[in-house]
Order: sequence, then C-alpha cells, then structure tokens
Amino acid sequence: MNVTAKTYQKGEIPGVIAINATVCKGCDACKRHCPTGAITGMFGTTHRIDVDLCLSCGQCLINCPFGAPYETSDTVDEVIAKLKDRNNTVVGIIAPAVRVAIGEDFGLPAGSLVTGKLYGSMKKAGFEILDNNFTADLTIMEEGTEFITRARHALFGEKSEHGGEIGPLPQFTSCCPAWVRFVETRYPTLIPHLSSAKSPQQMAGTVAKTYGTNVWKKSPESIYTVGIMPCTAKKLEASRPEFNAAYKYNKKNGRGLTNKPYPDVDTVLTTRDLSRLFKKLKIDLAQEEEVAGGSLLADYTGAGTIFGNTGGVMEAALRTAYAVLTGSELKPLEFKPVRGLQGMKSASVTLKDAKYNKEVTVKVAVVHNMAENIQPVVNEVLAGRSPYHFIEVMNCPGGCINGGGQPVCSSGSSWISAIRPWFAWK
Amino acid sequence: MYSEKTILKHPWSVRIFHYLLILSFLPLAMTGIILYFKPLSESAVNLAMQVHVVCGVILTIDAIAYLLIGFNRVILFIKRIFTMSVTDVKWFMILGGYPQKLLLRKKVTVPPMGKYNSGQKLFGICVFTGGSVLIFTGWILWAFPHLVPGETVYLLGLLHTISAWILTLFLPVHLFLGIYMFDDFKAMILHGKIPYEEAKETAPLWVEKEIIPISRNQC
Ligand code: SF4
Ligand code: SF4
Ligand code: SF4
Repeated sequence: MNVTAKTYQKGEIPGVIAINATVCKGCDACKRHCPTGAITGMFGTTHRIDVDLCLSCGQCLINCPFGAPYETSDTVDEVIAKLKDRNNTVVGIIAPAVRVAIGEDFGLPAGSLVTGKLYGSMKKAGFEILDNNFTADLTIMEEGTEFITRARHALFGEKSEHGGEIGPLPQFTSCCPAWVRFVETRYPTLIPHLSSAKSPQQMAGTVAKTYGTNVWKKSPESIYTVGIMPCTAKKLEASRPEFNAAYKYNKKNGRGLTNKPYPDVDTVLTTRDLSRLFKKLKIDLAQEEEVAGGSLLADYTGAGTIFGNTGGVMEAALRTAYAVLTGSELKPLEFKPVRGLQGMKSASVTLKDAKYNKEVTVKVAVVHNMAENIQPVVNEVLAGRSPYHFIEVMNCPGGCINGGGQPVCSSGSSWISAIRPWFAWK
Repeated sequence: MYSEKTILKHPWSVRIFHYLLILSFLPLAMTGIILYFKPLSESAVNLAMQVHVVCGVILTIDAIAYLLIGFNRVILFIKRIFTMSVTDVKWFMILGGYPQKLLLRKKVTVPPMGKYNSGQKLFGICVFTGGSVLIFTGWILWAFPHLVPGETVYLLGLLHTISAWILTLFLPVHLFLGIYMFDDFKAMILHGKIPYEEAKETAPLWVEKEIIPISRNQC
C-alpha cells in the first residue's frame, strides 16, 4: 500500500493498477489513455502511477503494448477457497460486458455471446448466479425516476416527497466508479450532479445479502458476493467502506448474526480473473453446457443488457423516465455526434409530462473515453452553460465493453495508435 | 622488395556507409546501455532515448541507402560471409593465428583466406543479421507496438536486447582488431586502399582469384 495516498478512505484499495518497472519500456503509449494524467515518466524512462490521481480504470493496462501495468488486487485464489468451503454460498454477480468477452479466452470468436455457457461454467465452479443485468434494471429505474424528480423540481418547482434535497440538473450517471472518483477527487463541486443511485454491482451486493438470503436460504454472513466485472475500477468501488448497506439493513431488522460490518460486495474478479479461475478449476467454458441462471435474480430486461455499451445507460434510463411520465414506450433514441466535442453524442426527446400536462424537451448527452472527451463537458457544467439535462459518462472508450478488466487484445489494439508514438518524445 | 601497388578494398560507398554506421551505432550502443541499466537521472535517460531514436533513424536510412546504391555489393557481401568451408574451421581452430601472434609473438601458418577471414565473416554475419533484427525490432518497438500482438512485442523486445548486447560486446573486439590491422583501418577510414603485399598475405585467395589490375602501377 502506498502510505502517502491521500485520496482514499480507510479500507479502500489505494490504486488497483501499478506499473512493473522491470517491464516498462517508457514508450509513453499508456499516457494517452489515462483520463487523469496519473502516469508520470519521461519518454524512455520507467513510468509510474500517481495513485492519488489514478481512477483504477485499467485503460493503461489494456493498452500498454509491453504488458507492464498489472493489477495489485488478485483474489482468484481467495474465491476458489470460498467456493470449496461448503459453509459459504458464493454468489457471482455477472456484468453484461463479461459474457461477450470471456469466450475469447477459451478460443471462441471475439464478441461471442456466451451467457448460457458462462452460467454453466459458473455453476460448475460452485457459484450461485445473480445476473448484474437484473440490478442494472434497478439502477436504470432509480436513475430514471431520480431524473424525473430533478427535472420536475427544476421545471415546475416540485418538492421532494420525502422532504429531502433534490439535486441539480444536469444529472450525471453514477454507475461508472472511475467517473465517480474523477468527480470526487477533481471536481467535488459537481458531486450533487451525480445520480444518487448506486451502481448495479453495489445494488447486486445489497440484494444478494438481503433478498438473496430467502432465495438461497442462507444467512447474510455466509453469503460471499463476487462482482464479476469487465472493470478494474469496480475492485476499488467494492472496497469503499460506505458500501455495507446490507449489513446495516439486516442489523436494523434484526437479521444480523454479527456486529462486524460486512461489505455488500466481498470481492471483485475481472473478466480476465474469471477466465483464470475457470482455467485453475479446469473448466473449459467453450465446452460447457448452456444452462439457465436458476432464479429470479438471473432474470432481466433488454434495458439491462445494453448497459455495458456507451449510450446504453442513458437510453435505458430515458425509456424508464418516458414510460413513467407518458405511460407509453419510447422509440429507440437516435444519438448524433455533438459538433466540436468528439466522442460526445447527444439526443433530444420531446415528451408530455402527464402530471403537469406540459410538453418538455429533454436534452441528453453521452460521453465515453474520458481521457479524450470529458473536459469540455465538465467545463460547460462548471460554467453553468451545459445545454443538457442528463449526461451519461463512461470512462472507457466504447463503454464497459472495452473496460480495463477485459481480456487484453492479443492482436494489437488500435491502428490509430500506430502513428501516434512517432510523436513520443518528452 | 616491397611493392607500392595498392588494391581498392573499400570504395567510397562502403566508406560513407561505414562512417554513418560509426556515427549511429556507437551512440546507439552507449544510449542502449543507459536505457538498459537506467543509471542516470530521468531527464538524462530521456535524452538517451531521444539520441537512441535519432541514431536509429540514421542507421536505418544508412542501411536502406546502401542497399539501394550498392545492391550488388550487398549481395556479394552476403554471399561472402555466408560461404563457409572446412578452411574456416581450421582458421577458427587457431583463431587466425592472432593469439599466437599477440601473446606469444609467434607466427603460425594460417589457412588461406578470401576477402574476409573467417573471424570477419562471423562478425559480418552478426552485424548483418543482428543489425537487420535491431532495425526491424527497433522500429516496431518505437513506432508500431500497437500493431503487433502483446506477446510478440515482448519477444521482439527481448530479441532487440539480445542482438544489441551481442553487437555491443563485439564492438571492442572489432575496434581492437580493426586498429591492429592498421592498413585495413586506414583503408576504411581514409582512402579505401590497402597495400597489395598486405592483401596477398592476409587475403591470398581474394588477390589470386578476384583482383584484376586496372593499370600498371595502380590496382
Ligand atoms: S505503455 Fe507500458 S511500456 Fe509504455 S510507458 Fe506505459 S507502462 Fe511503460
Ligand atoms: S488505471 Fe486508469 S487512471 Fe489509473 S493510471 Fe491507468 S489509465 Fe490512468
Ligand atoms: S466504463 Fe465501465 S469498465 Fe470502464 S471504468 Fe467505467 S464502469 Fe469500469
């Protein structure tokens, strides 16, 4: 642990990514992918990560051509031990983007959707399944209804039902932990703009240790939750000390056996970690039977499924808001690139708020690849000039599908990057 | 009686190629060592990397230009260095008579050699293959690492380091023997010509089979 780290709470993993000094060639490639400039080191010298600036997004890891960055948190063996311990029910919370990437590691064509085989492999390994798509649906409903509250407050002065404070517009999505950390550490004045909804992973952890106790007939203490994510930042998110809502709920309702707080999500494995776990357990995903999830918690809608792509959260949340406000279904959104702000797309939807009988035009924007696209968006909001009401932000280029925990592309990563290192110099 | 006849061993194209080789390879080797051990400050290592890149580009241009200008010479050079026979084995068994000459001040009979002796051929093979590998891998590592699979980039990096070390360690030997054979040294650095008698002694097969007189007093 870096003892000088200043931007972490007690108990958090202080930087999930580090650079192996003996492997780093100082080629500078990683710097372009880092959203915060956390990587220091001149061209040709060993590069380092400033953990206080780092968001743990893992983009440097998947884009380093020499494989120098590595994850400091590896709990594959710990999870295997929990799986072998019959006293535990190990719940795997599978994110949407994992199922389209893990097949690659088992010789299937890149992009194969392997939900059934993944379920089969996880069951064989001993996991119970909580599909993160289920809680992505919950996040969408939370973010969608929160947006309605904020919009009605801003437009019609509507007060909160519970008398609480209502956040300002634009509302930012809050499901990307790298983005949340970016706001918290760099632009804390923007925190009220973040949706108060927890990410699907954290909702899943809470659901597993509360509602899940009835599903699996286990005490919350013997449920061990494992986020299985395309994302290294999720490891940091799970370690945040405030995420022990299940413990608090169970204690308050007399369902707790212990006074020792337990986290909602005990540990996180990336897609890479999970394929390593399967390989250690000699499970060949490609050969596994396709099986169903086995409980309501592995059931979900199409909205949850598109969560892992850029624009997915926004579209899904707007569909919810639209349905609540108008009582009818929203047609698929057509996003247009915003002029001058590359990597940012926008759309507007005109809808009638049935409650106030007024037409409202909602302007939304979607930003991904924070390293290149976030600054103008943040500047606009800080200056009070943002034309948008709802902004989705995902750190990784293309969204979680290209997250820092996904299999590292073994055939080179980007043609455009091929010419950029020519300019590597300082 | 000592003849004043000379043989043009290194024409201008070879000499210019060699000058540029010295100009680029020496700094490449020195900066390469700095980059490997990183013993200096960050800005000094950065400077070393910049020098390494510039010299690498000079080396590449030098190699490509020579390949285009002296294509036939390159082919002949490749043919010469890769043609080995039992004579070369015999040469290596006595290491060309150099240890005896240098350490024991004793002259031993050396098998007759062509334009290059067996040691030079081995060095030529190392320079030719190692140099090509260094140029190829260097460009991938510097400019195109993203085009190549991760494991391949790692292996290319390893190949770059190994080739660089082999050539760098060869360098002092080459410098020493180059200067030791002073006539050859002068030919490469100055005028390109070596004395006929010297060539007859060190490269009798070359003189016998390949050298043709171009005028009475000047070959
Ligand atoms: S991309 Fe990899 S090798 Fe290059 S500087 Fe970054 S960590 Fe080092
Ligand atoms: S993990 Fe993300 S934020 Fe941290 S150094 Fe790497 S690219 Fe930058
Ligand atoms: S975009 Fe997705 S994968 Fe990337 S940091 Fe955010 S949550 Fe993680």
